[in-house]
Amino acid sequence: MNPKKPLLHPLPGILLTLALFLSACGGGVATATDAPAPEATSASTEEPAATSAPTEAPAAEVTGALSVLEWAGYDAEDFWVDFKNAYPEVTVNFEIGISDADIYAKMAAGNQADVFHPYSGWLQFYVDEGLVEEIDTSKLSNWDKVSESHKKLGQINGKQYFIPWDIGFTSVLYRTDKIPEGVDSWAALMDPKYAGHISMWDDGPGAVTVSAYIHGYDETAITDEQLAAIQEEWITQRDSNLFYWAGEPELQEGMRSGDVWAAYAWQGSYALLLGEGVPVAYANPKEGRNSWVGFYGIRKGTENLDLALKFLDAKLGEATGSNVVNLFYYGHSNQDVMNSVTDPMLIEAFGLNDPDILEKTNFTPNLTAEQRDAWTAMWAEVKAAP
Amino acid sequence: MTAAPSRPSEHLPQIRRIWGRAGRGWDRRASFWMLYFPPLLWLGAFFLIPLLLMFAFSFRPDMRGDFFQLWHPSLNQYEKLISTGSYWRLLWTSTQMALLISVISVVLSYPIAYFLAFHGRQRVGFYLVLLLVPFWTSYLLRVMAWKMMLGTEGVINSFLIYINLIQEPLTALLYNRNAVVITLIYVWIPFATLPILAALQRIDLALFEAAADLGARPVHQFLRITLPLSLPGVFAAFFMVFIPTVGEYVTPLLVGGSRGSMYGNIIQDFFTKAANWPFGSAMSMIMLAGTLILVAIAARLINLRDLLE
Repeated sequence: MNPKKPLLHPLPGILLTLALFLSACGGGVATATDAPAPEATSASTEEPAATSAPTEAPAAEVTGALSVLEWAGYDAEDFWVDFKNAYPEVTVNFEIGISDADIYAKMAAGNQADVFHPYSGWLQFYVDEGLVEEIDTSKLSNWDKVSESHKKLGQINGKQYFIPWDIGFTSVLYRTDKIPEGVDSWAALMDPKYAGHISMWDDGPGAVTVSAYIHGYDETAITDEQLAAIQEEWITQRDSNLFYWAGEPELQEGMRSGDVWAAYAWQGSYALLLGEGVPVAYANPKEGRNSWVGFYGIRKGTENLDLALKFLDAKLGEATGSNVVNLFYYGHSNQDVMNSVTDPMLIEAFGLNDPDILEKTNFTPNLTAEQRDAWTAMWAEVKAAP
Repeated sequence: MTAAPSRPSEHLPQIRRIWGRAGRGWDRRASFWMLYFPPLLWLGAFFLIPLLLMFAFSFRPDMRGDFFQLWHPSLNQYEKLISTGSYWRLLWTSTQMALLISVISVVLSYPIAYFLAFHGRQRVGFYLVLLLVPFWTSYLLRVMAWKMMLGTEGVINSFLIYINLIQEPLTALLYNRNAVVITLIYVWIPFATLPILAALQRIDLALFEAAADLGARPVHQFLRITLPLSLPGVFAAFFMVFIPTVGEYVTPLLVGGSRGSMYGNIIQDFFTKAANWPFGSAMSMIMLAGTLILVAIAARLINLRDLLE
């Protein structure tokens, strides 16, 4: 700024700067909902030597820091209690991802988390983009407690890149007092009879899955025509849909208040509402329930490989697994944990009393990058449709 | 307007003289940099560089490959965006909503600012605090409170049912665009009040005496003195509300329901739900360009310079 020159009129400049600033930050005042957890990635590089020493130190004396890219809720100590007890001197830092896409995008952008937590469908690209380390399962003491079918789900191109951890169903959750006739098909989510009282998950691949079940499409080979039809179907559905839920508490509140009668839901919400005495039931649709599995992967090139493996092993531990079952009502990949479930409500929620439940269940296949882009774009167009 | 209160620029020669005596050239430059470097650095590191990165990202064909890679610009994303009519319609809808919200917020906050400026007297500070008290609670909490007001079992519905005006709760109050508009107007009123208040407080009270002496009635005084002199504040308030509202995404997410999405929601979805940063970046760039064009047109139409001089 040259002090000799008279000041230009500042207002247009201020407005321009304001425009740039405000339009770029969107709802500038409204950052509260998705404030990320404090950055916790830098600590991971400190003291890597402690764990890789040739003569292994006793577990209680191992120090260091591990960083985990995790979903909100699972950062609570209950869900890594075995690790905490075995390695009290290790600091575990959590960074929170808000969706599979968010976690993938963060890892692709060079996030330094040692361990991350993707779900069914979102595994292939980590391998394709070289973001995930193959897991040496011989270092996992709890590995033989995991069933073969679950182990297989963590394999990509024949190699074990991920360990299965939390397991659940997706189905239609409904209020038995509002829908006394019951729900026997995924098509209930489209039924105009329930207009204004339906809630779908805010997710493109989830919507494709539901349509594929209803129409009997092959989910792994959705054609462009089918995708266009799916888009139309969900645009029509939108008129009956009250809101798309992003987080489970939002859905649970809607079911509790009676605004939502039928919803795409995970079993955790079912068990929670059932426990509260809300009159809900979890459908066994004729097209079959959907089943999903959560996995842990280790970032390729991490300096904390040993510690990360120990963390994964402890994740399969019994105390941790029991907490997943008892606190969040999800299944756990450790068979011993599942075999010890006695609570009738949980047995009901997991379908443990139904020997055919797995035959009636569809596992979510892995998405390709093209499917991911096409299906999420389809969903954005549904939401943007006039 | 010859009787306008003294503007800061009139003091500049004097300030320059003091500066000239106080130090040599490098001194001035040093203090300039000391004052401006931290904010410039902040804006550069956390705003300009990310914005440029986003600009670069919007020309990537897809997410594949390393985060930082050799730049092979591709118009893929823009082509897709241009060929998808629903996004353009949504941008237009969001712009219209933002216009409506900013006009109503400004109209509603003008009387508040007027009261504070001319009738607040010694208690103006206290009233200002009252106005800003809601901001001591989190934004999320306030929007949740609106959900409790507008919901089917909410305050409004319960009251209407209680006084027997309706039998079934109204479902039209929540989970639609109207709910977004109502909530955002509420959110913006205190913000919009501040620039208008600042403009009103700058008006020289002697002008009113002069006008009264010359026989102007209160209505005339308002139309000929108060309103014109407060227009810069009114426009500042308008833009302060309008620009961020075009890209708003949190409020529609919470109270908008299935049909309440705004353009900002779709941008957010491409970043957080689709892992498709290139397309989200392209959408952001289009919105930025659109907002800048609108502001430029508005600045032209209003002719800010005339207004201020």
